[in-house]
Amino acid sequence: MSDFSEIEDKLRKLRPVQPSADLMARIERELSEGRSPDLRSETARHTSTAGVLPRERRFHFNWLSLGLGLAAAAALVLFARIQLERPVKKMPALAAITPAPQLSSPVATAEFVPAGLTQVVYHTRDEGVHFPNNKPMRRVRSHSRETLQWRNPKTGASLRISYPSEEVSLVPVTGQ
Amino acid sequence: MENVATDGNWKNCFSQLAPGLVLFARQWSRSAADAEDIVQEAFVRFWRKQHDIANRGLLYATVRSIALDFLRRDSRRARREATAVSEMDQTVQPMFEIEDESQRAVVAALDLLPGEQREVLVMKIWNDLTFAEIASALEISQNTAASRYRYALAALKKNLPSV
Repeated sequence: MSDFSEIEDKLRKLRPVQPSADLMARIERELSEGRSPDLRSETARHTSTAGVLPRERRFHFNWLSLGLGLAAAAALVLFARIQLERPVKKMPALAAITPAPQLSSPVATAEFVPAGLTQVVYHTRDEGVHFPNNKPMRRVRSHSRETLQWRNPKTGASLRISYPSEEVSLVPVTGQ
Repeated sequence: MENVATDGNWKNCFSQLAPGLVLFARQWSRSAADAEDIVQEAFVRFWRKQHDIANRGLLYATVRSIALDFLRRDSRRARREATAVSEMDQTVQPMFEIEDESQRAVVAALDLLPGEQREVLVMKIWNDLTFAEIASALEISQNTAASRYRYALAALKKNLPSV
């Protein structure tokens, strides 16, 4: 590889034309006019420099980001209000598989009367033949959700309690 | 220990960088006055945005960006005005303080370099930027910056047999 040190030396001996004194004056004017006294002292407090070269870091308030942020927050609040104020959808009526039970619950006062019991079996599993008491029995495990409902005929208010349940039943195996 | 930067620090900084910055801006402007306008606008913009002055790549990128904008505006203006004076008749203002004929030959050889090589050379030789800073300012890789520098030196060496 050829050596370029000689041409580099020759280039470095070339001195760029000095800028006009007017440019320096313009820069000085810009620096002095560009800041109010308050801003100047504020900047001086937060500005650091390593030696000759000043190193400045200042927080810049970004109005565009603030505006976008506020708009997004307002939209979120508006959306949440709409969600809260939307009328509750009526659930499709479930088929009562049993007649309304006459429960003597503490809730079932004179004002609230039992309105129905719903039982939905959503999973059944045959766990095979077992021999409790030396008799062949098929064990069936089922999972269901039961819902009890009360209504107040005067006000139309209703109360509903729903809970999951698990039932294990033993079905006798009969040989035919 | 950190010092507090004052307007005096900025002025001192500018006085150190100004010759190199103006030379850099001359790559895109026909006159020294235009180059000084470019440098003024770039430096003031850089200062107002409170950039870290140690980030010289960004400062030179700002000068370059404003110079290119200036060049586009200047070209449009020149077309609009359609003056009778051709560009060849305009006085070419020197970029360097030439002391002898050998330096004149070097400057003439510099003028023959492709723009992308010359700007790297100007940043490296007369502004003391590192290849990393040059790469940052020109948005190229360091290898590309180093290659352009070597190509420029090789071309100068070829065009200046006495060197």
